[in-house]
Amino acid sequence: MKARLLAIAVAVLVFVPTALSATHAGGHAKKASAGTTIVVYASGDVNVQGLWQNNIIPGFEKANKGIYVKFIFSEHGTDDGTTLARIGAAVKGRHWPGIDLVDGGLVTTLAAAGLNQPVGKATAPNLKKINPDLLVPVKGAAIPYRGSSVVLAYNSDKVKSPPKSLSALLDWIRANPGKFTYNSPNSGGSGYSFAETVVDSLLTPSILKQMDQGYNPAIQSNWKQGLDLLHGLNKYMYGNGVYPNGNAAVLQLLGQGQIWVAPVWSDQSLTALKTGQLGPNIKLTQISNPSFTGGAAYLAVPKTAKHKKVLYKFVNYILSPPAQQMIVDVMAGFPAIDIKYMGAAIKQKFQDVSANTLRPTYQTKMGNDFKAAWQQSVP
Amino acid sequence: MVLPPVAVVAVFIGFPVGAAIAYTLGKIGGPNSTVALLAQRQHVAHHGVTLGAYREVLGNTHVRGDLWATIWVTLVTVACVVLLSWSIALYLRLSNTWISRVVSALSVIPLFIPVVIASYAILTFYAATGFIKTLAYHVGWQSFPTLGYTLTAVVIGEIWVNVPFGVLMMSSGLNSVPNALIEAARDSGASLPRTVRSVLLPMNVIPTVIVATFTGIYVLGSFTVPYLTGPTAPNLMGVSMQQFFGSFNQPQQAEVMAMIVFVLAAGIGTIYVWANVRATKRASSTT
Repeated sequence: MKARLLAIAVAVLVFVPTALSATHAGGHAKKASAGTTIVVYASGDVNVQGLWQNNIIPGFEKANKGIYVKFIFSEHGTDDGTTLARIGAAVKGRHWPGIDLVDGGLVTTLAAAGLNQPVGKATAPNLKKINPDLLVPVKGAAIPYRGSSVVLAYNSDKVKSPPKSLSALLDWIRANPGKFTYNSPNSGGSGYSFAETVVDSLLTPSILKQMDQGYNPAIQSNWKQGLDLLHGLNKYMYGNGVYPNGNAAVLQLLGQGQIWVAPVWSDQSLTALKTGQLGPNIKLTQISNPSFTGGAAYLAVPKTAKHKKVLYKFVNYILSPPAQQMIVDVMAGFPAIDIKYMGAAIKQKFQDVSANTLRPTYQTKMGNDFKAAWQQSVP
Repeated sequence: MVLPPVAVVAVFIGFPVGAAIAYTLGKIGGPNSTVALLAQRQHVAHHGVTLGAYREVLGNTHVRGDLWATIWVTLVTVACVVLLSWSIALYLRLSNTWISRVVSALSVIPLFIPVVIASYAILTFYAATGFIKTLAYHVGWQSFPTLGYTLTAVVIGEIWVNVPFGVLMMSSGLNSVPNALIEAARDSGASLPRTVRSVLLPMNVIPTVIVATFTGIYVLGSFTVPYLTGPTAPNLMGVSMQQFFGSFNQPQQAEVMAMIVFVLAAGIGTIYVWANVRATKRASSTT
């Protein structure tokens, strides 16, 4: 009796999901035969999956009858390597890679290798609404569609008035030894942003612009002063100079109350607040002069993508205010288009968190050297 | 008959190793052209070879710091693992109570816990707000050091990960010593320590060498434990290699560091081979 029950349970567990997914796939197949289908590949965490699958794609398909979007998702980018090779081989051989639009970490690599359709050839009017500075680091070959910024998280039980500017933050760190740290820049973007922001505050605007836009090892000597300042902060850091590895490790220290203030990613910390990894006593704010840097997530159109006209219709939709609103609502991200095109609620929401544009980071190769320089001279 | 396995080894191990060695010496053509296209700060040899990458890496004081940290963490870990697994295995060999059975079960549990989980657990356990520090505080030892994010935590983690294998090896080695030999020694009046020293120790040399060498090689190249529980600098070579390879986009320098670790591991491997050869010789001379 027991064995039979077990067998039935197993059968139910195995067959029901299969049957459900079969009907799901069947639905897609039917749709595909009816009109134009474009294929989207995205990688990242489940919040990225939710954004595409439950929000952007249904919204677009509803507004554009006869156009269907097939969605391929790779969790944590585990398939990015093979996808990169696949697109690379297809574009070189001038045939369709099976993917029309890419969202993920591999996009900047595709852009640098010249495998993407230049944004200048795109027929999407909403592209005019994005900040053109964001196109420079990707050689104008990838489309920024959302952003996330680094913000300052603080424990409101212990810190009643958080620092408002970088110099106030540095004073706070010196006045409260052991209650601040950031992750090592090579292990995550939030610590990287803090280190770069401190160094940037001592650079001239023209040098900083050169560092954001191109690779020039000759001007790296300008980092020395800022790195010395960071080195001088060692004794005020958590554990006399402990820089944990990874963005998540800093959130953990903050959640446990071991540190009171830290730079964190806006979207990651908002998610952590939602799931309870960070308690309600943790609050977020942004500093000024300079603000922390942010990063944009880019979309790529491989040179040999199919149905480009329809594809850019989709891109145009992604960059429209309603779709950008979804990015804000679903994943606590930043809109990629200028904030002036967004509703009043959004303008207000980002008023105390950030300026209306993301402050760009160093060009990729420059950033790699910066991480190496930090590792050599700070800890 | 031996050709297929040899071919597999040659293609999947020999060829990449050869290409990597060529790359560290500045050869960026052929199989290295893709990695060389994307890498930063390379030393390129247009004619012959260049030792520039080796000179740069070995001249870097931080890398040298990492190298020394790696060597002493490896030595301390190997010593502790050998000592711990010997004592546990000896206890299991000589005692057959329910306590010894519980100990034997507990000592292999780390084998079934993923290293990532174990590392985070160790970090939490020894953190400033962790169990150990809290306990020390309550018994009045308020200056107890915070071990999280130190090389001590790395040593603790490495021991934790390696002890189960040590216990398994040592126990099987000690179990293969016939009871008759132990009883004969005891009957002729040898004390227990004397029996251990003169009977069990000499008959368990090979498992001991295996545990020491394998632990040493494992720790030399380990990544997860030092990455999650170790300090920012100096840390183990596995962590710096990953930083140079991934974060700094300097694969050539990372491969040079891999060569250094490889030479150290090959040195340890030599000890293992030497011990095996010696044991085989002995076995053939006694039969």
